Amino acid sequence: MSKAAGPDFPLRKRASHDALFPAVRQLADQLILLALLASICLFILYPMVCILWRSLQDGDGVSFAMYAHVWRKYRQSLYNSMLTATCTALLCTAFSVAAALLTATGKGWLRVLGMGLLLITMVSPPFVSSLAYIQLYGRRGWITYRVLGLSLDPYNCWGVILMQSLSFVPVNALFLMGMLTKMDQGSLLAARDLGARPKHILRDVVLPLIRPGILVCLLLSFVRSLADFGTPVIIGGRFSTIASDIYMQLMGFSDLEKASAMNMTLLLPSVAAFFLYRYLMVKTGSTSGERSQQRGLWLPLHRCGALGGILAGGGIFFFLVLVLQYICIFASGFIKRVKGVSVFTLDHLERLMRYNADTLVRSMVYALIVALAGTFFAMLFSYYVYRRKVRFGSFFDCLATLPYMLPGTCFGIGYILAFNHPPLKLTGTALIVIANMLFKQLPTTTKICTAALAQIPDAQEKAVRDLGGDKLTVIKDVILPGMRPAFLSCFAYNFSSSMTTSGAVLFLIDPGNQLAVFRLFDAVNKGEYSMAALIATFIILIVVVVEGLVYLLASRKEKAHVS
Amino acid sequence: MYLELHQLNKRFGEKEVVKDLSLELAQRDLLCILGASGCGKTTTLNLIGGFLAPDSGSILLDGQDVTALPPERRPVATVFQSYGLFPHMTVLQNVAYGLKFQGMDRAAARKKGLYYLELVGLADRAGSRIHALSGGQQQRVALARALAVEPKLCLLDEPFSNLDAALRTKMRHELKRFQEELGITMVFVTHDQEEALILADRIAVMEEGALAQLAPPEELYQNPASPSVARFLGVDELVWREDGTVLKIIKQ
Ligand SMILES: Nc1ncnc2c1ncn2[C@@H]1O[C@H](COP(=O)(O)OP(=O)(O)O)[C@@H](O)[C@H]1O
Ligand SMILES: [Mg+2]
Repeated sequence: MSKAAGPDFPLRKRASHDALFPAVRQLADQLILLALLASICLFILYPMVCILWRSLQDGDGVSFAMYAHVWRKYRQSLYNSMLTATCTALLCTAFSVAAALLTATGKGWLRVLGMGLLLITMVSPPFVSSLAYIQLYGRRGWITYRVLGLSLDPYNCWGVILMQSLSFVPVNALFLMGMLTKMDQGSLLAARDLGARPKHILRDVVLPLIRPGILVCLLLSFVRSLADFGTPVIIGGRFSTIASDIYMQLMGFSDLEKASAMNMTLLLPSVAAFFLYRYLMVKTGSTSGERSQQRGLWLPLHRCGALGGILAGGGIFFFLVLVLQYICIFASGFIKRVKGVSVFTLDHLERLMRYNADTLVRSMVYALIVALAGTFFAMLFSYYVYRRKVRFGSFFDCLATLPYMLPGTCFGIGYILAFNHPPLKLTGTALIVIANMLFKQLPTTTKICTAALAQIPDAQEKAVRDLGGDKLTVIKDVILPGMRPAFLSCFAYNFSSSMTTSGAVLFLIDPGNQLAVFRLFDAVNKGEYSMAALIATFIILIVVVVEGLVYLLASRKEKAHVS
Repeated sequence: MYLELHQLNKRFGEKEVVKDLSLELAQRDLLCILGASGCGKTTTLNLIGGFLAPDSGSILLDGQDVTALPPERRPVATVFQSYGLFPHMTVLQNVAYGLKFQGMDRAAARKKGLYYLELVGLADRAGSRIHALSGGQQQRVALARALAVEPKLCLLDEPFSNLDAALRTKMRHELKRFQEELGITMVFVTHDQEEALILADRIAVMEEGALAQLAPPEELYQNPASPSVARFLGVDELVWREDGTVLKIIKQ
């Protein structure tokens, strides 16, 4: 030792000084990595391979016979799917741009209201729009029948397109708003300085700048519409899409070969869209790292000429429909008709408590488990794959992002095929549901974690190693603490998604262990609209309360950090 | 010698970043690695610290071959250019961090951490968060953290480059004082000729990954090994102190 001055400090023999101990920890590090990569292969790649393999089975060997059959028999549904997806993508993107512009340029409480409505819609369970649609505009709809005296048949393709468009808007609108508020205010000022009037600014600066974002919205809405089976099942009537046909197939549990081939047909455009999406996102630039300005965008829409007027009108229409929808949902759980008059009642609530309380609790427990396990998984996965640069990292990165675009039916049937026989018989267990939610949400959580990881300086990691810590110590002392903000966002995202997920999970739940979303879907299909509305209300309430708590926790910790 | 680098080579892809680098350093001496930006100084330091493995060559420290040891097993501590302090820990927790790996219990680690904080003049900030400190104070914490583990060798990568000129001069003198008082062996990386001439017992001038000259400051100044070394030093005149160290530098 080169120490010349200074007092002596006693050492105590510790486990970390045993010769064996570092080797064990080294092994543990490798095992964690192995477990992460193996899970990705098992829960994402393997189910996909199972679908492909099963779709090529034909009694006595490998063939494309099933595809030919699907192609012949479901031509009309395929056509319907393409038509619906195209119309939905266009309409939804138009609404999204309008809603984003209206909210971003709104002043004070108007913007807060717009944001609030979008966020509530984000955390609403699916089918809520369809449920409200039937009640508001159906044969006995509050608006069409009682106010306007019409008796319209709501079950057709236009209803499907309209409802899909409405329910896909919030994600798109929030994404576009992120781009709008992060927009370089300098270029707006420069345009004004050069004599551009608001309508020129909108046309020449604002819309061109968010063009890549608009493309992403088109793509996402298209794929979501293709994959959505809930809306056509509920309000399609005789109008069916390939996704709703798959749902019917699976519920009958008739022909897994056929269902696989149908899913592969649906999978191809989704995977194509996925690669296009990745390409577009690179061009859009990763915006998740930097913090968005909380200021709005200066642009008086009402002075933006005809285009501005149309956009403002579209946005206002969208928000009005949204407000009506939520009034309808929240109110109808507490209203019953007595002799032609609507009166307040707690009957539905009482029935909910008696028959559905357990499903709500189970949903919460599952969501909490997914939120915790999924967040840790994403944190570790992003560290090992993006920071430690494991071999074949980009392959695993691609696998981990794939579920983002995977239709729920695909992910569901993949799990059924992969895990319905020993040695991995998981069907009917809670584990299959939890794993399905976790890996479906992994793309988004990994993205959040990778952005946070980029903020942790390399030197902190090196300092731990330098001072005597090993790779596991780096994770414990630098990576996990440094990702705390990401932990909270991932937790909130995982929780709300798990509470409201509808896709694959519907096929995987054991009838004895139902979740709230399943009951909601069931109630809508049976025509128990008040009960459905009440379940939806409770799901929204639970998610809003939990997210609120997380938000409070985050802002309190942040304040403590600053002081 | 205490530290010996033998024929180190490191390439990134096609690019040879360190070429046949051999160096020697006596115990309690301070070696400055001096060179233009991008000449491979940080890479050399990473090789010594164990963050990179050399393609060939070996590193001996105090008679022990450490070439194959991972960073946590090398008796070396680094002061990073960007400090690498842990923002979620207090100042004292940062300084005492490395001690738990030496098997020191919490109370002793705390006492030792405070001792080194006092040494760098920050004992009163022991409970502060890192973000509450100024750049110069963070620099001292990073130094205290590295010294607290009593490494056989302390590495510093352009530690003062983020400080303003006045503070830099002050820190240089303090660093020299610690180094002499505690008798620490140091390798100090810089691209600043003045800094090297003032601090170093020996200076290694690097050019494009290779060693151009290894000599004490005076000899380097009197007898630059090549015109390029002379040009890089760019010094007109040195004013010496009585004890033979540099007092002042007059540039062209
Ligand atoms: N991990 C790396 N991969 C590829 N090239 C690198 C890497 N690290 C450093 N380099 C290259 O090696 C050269 C020397 O880098 P460095 O040692 O950081 O120089 P210095 O510290 O002297 O400025 C630079 O040209 C740099 O681009
Ligand atoms: Mg450097």
